[in-house]
Amino acid sequence: MTDFSIRSDNVDVEQIMRQIRARIREKRGVDYTEEEIRELANVKLEKFLDPRGVRSDLLEQFRRKREASLPPNFKFEDTTLFETHRGLLAFIRRLLRPVLKLFFNPNPLIDALHIQSKLNAQQAALEPLYYEVIHNLVLETTRLGIDVKNLKMRVESMSSRLDFDERRARALEGVVQYRPGAVPPLQPPSGGGDSRAPESPEQSERRNRRRRRRGRRRPEERTGGRSGQGAQGAQGALGAGGTPMSEGGEAEPIGEQSDDRDDRGLTPVHRDTDGEPSES
Amino acid sequence: MKLAVAVQRYGADINGGAELHARYIAERLARHAEVEVVTTCARDYVTWRNERPEGVDQVNGIPVRRFPVTHERDPNHFGRQSRRVFDQPHSIADEIAWLESEGPASPAMIDYLERSASKLDFILLFSYRYYHAWHGARRVPAKALLVPTAERDPAIGLGIFGATFRSVRAVMYNSHEERAMIQAATRNEEVPGVVVGIGSEIPARTDGERFRRKHNVRKPFAIYVGRIDENKGCKELFDFFLRYANTFPRGLDLVLIGSAIMPIPQHPRIHHLGFLPDEDKFDAIAASDLLIMPSYFESLSMVALEAWALGRPVLANGRCDVLKGQCIRSAAGLYYERYEEFAETLYALESNGPLHARLGRNGRDYFTQHYTWPVIERKYLDMFDQLKREDASGARRPVESLGGWLARRQRHQRPAAEVLTTIPSNAVVPGSGAAENLSRSA
Repeated sequence: MTDFSIRSDNVDVEQIMRQIRARIREKRGVDYTEEEIRELANVKLEKFLDPRGVRSDLLEQFRRKREASLPPNFKFEDTTLFETHRGLLAFIRRLLRPVLKLFFNPNPLIDALHIQSKLNAQQAALEPLYYEVIHNLVLETTRLGIDVKNLKMRVESMSSRLDFDERRARALEGVVQYRPGAVPPLQPPSGGGDSRAPESPEQSERRNRRRRRRGRRRPEERTGGRSGQGAQGAQGALGAGGTPMSEGGEAEPIGEQSDDRDDRGLTPVHRDTDGEPSES
Repeated sequence: MKLAVAVQRYGADINGGAELHARYIAERLARHAEVEVVTTCARDYVTWRNERPEGVDQVNGIPVRRFPVTHERDPNHFGRQSRRVFDQPHSIADEIAWLESEGPASPAMIDYLERSASKLDFILLFSYRYYHAWHGARRVPAKALLVPTAERDPAIGLGIFGATFRSVRAVMYNSHEERAMIQAATRNEEVPGVVVGIGSEIPARTDGERFRRKHNVRKPFAIYVGRIDENKGCKELFDFFLRYANTFPRGLDLVLIGSAIMPIPQHPRIHHLGFLPDEDKFDAIAASDLLIMPSYFESLSMVALEAWALGRPVLANGRCDVLKGQCIRSAAGLYYERYEEFAETLYALESNGPLHARLGRNGRDYFTQHYTWPVIERKYLDMFDQLKREDASGARRPVESLGGWLARRQRHQRPAAEVLTTIPSNAVVPGSGAAENLSRSA
């Protein structure tokens, strides 16, 4: 979500809205307006109703239906059969209607045509709705398609960031030191294998004392000594309960370490301002 | 000075936008002039059924003269007429028939305005699109000031209204966007006009805690005040808010105040309190974090002004030019046009304290500068003075003829909806080309 810092008394709403839109664009990858989505949907609708698609003439039929004026729906009432604009004829028909009903009963016919008229009206009302439903479905499908595309892009981006973070985490683990007694992380089995047997705490303490007696080593000695082990070698040594090394290679008592330790007993050797381990 | 205020409905219990606007203006101008309200006996804006007695009445100390409506509105007939003039080529006669079918048709009211015009200094005609305003402006153009309360709907594209806007003495606009739209549609730049708007009766003290206790609202909330109606953008608001609520489970609640004419989604974070008295309404706005205005069409949102008066930012629908323009000019609100923007802006207002505080403060300043009653009254009185000076100079604009019997029946008028699409729409903001007169009229 967008975060703004308001520094001055003058708030520019348009500027804020530009920032918000830029942020949305950044998140969505591509920023489609409603009109653009509609346009895309229309294109999809054409494709959906393409001759090679579902039905050859479905779109044309819909269009024709909408464009051509529908035949007027005949409202069929009980008097419709006998209607006329000629007054005399209407009078004669009204007069003879009881006679006509002696020969047959027109009521079922009138009822049936009345129902048919209603059905026609219902059908006419439903047709635009069907079209609208299809149209809306395609619109939603388009929107979902775009969302899926954007989500795919986000997943790809996140997975690459995750890879990066994992690599970074491994690199950091390679340069941390562990307090004596802290449980080191499990090491992956190495193919070549380290032929040395694990050191006991007594052996480790003896080795540290030797180092303290030897004093500060020259830089080239330190570099040469480390380069042979690599990150894994360093981890192996520290994981065996070694005393953490100071910047200059001198041993420090645990109690004198900085407060940078986390609750797992990890202590970063050195961090620059943005949290990256520095090589100094 | 003697004034008449002509409006389609009038009453202390009528809360429609233009009608309430007319009542406030009548009551305020009564402090400076002798004011009479001329209206119909109708109470319902859909049917225009005569429900109030004909004759003179008093509403909050203002004399109100009511005239009967000759026929109720037939929705089917009105729908057919609307389709004809909005969607098809048509004639002037068709437009006049549409106006008649829209109502409230009250020839007696127009006759009265014409008879009493000589005794009046000015007649304020509210709502350009109704029968009384159109006929009133044509019968007494020398006294007529129009308060259009126009929204961006196809009616503004009808040819008959162009002549009205060009014939009246002055137009009191609600917003810069309204003025830009009317001028683009009717070319009435020559007619004196001023953007006024309307003030509101903001209580000196509000108590948000009282509202929270009374209605058992504990969590921070955004508020919507008004009719809960699809036409007011509430459907979209609910849709957006439900999605937002799913994304931010601990975000703001939504409190709705007003009568509902559409179903409200059942959600633990949406609270509908119904119609509330003014005291509660103002307490609620004071207790809220922000006001949401989802409406697509507004000529002026009084509730947005009330929120600004109480130092609350507004989140408005950016597709409504007026609301968007007000948010930009006041620097007191954000706006959205789709869900992503809704979520981002709501979150920004919810989470960014300095932004929220600054927008709220700007809103209060904006209201004080433009919408307090002394400012509004002064704009009306200045306009009256300007028109009196014009009277003294003898300058008059003739009423435009609509043509003879045959000319009125020729189908030369373009569909109003088509005309509307040619009218530029956008918020009028400082620095834009459309805002050249912004500082002058503000």
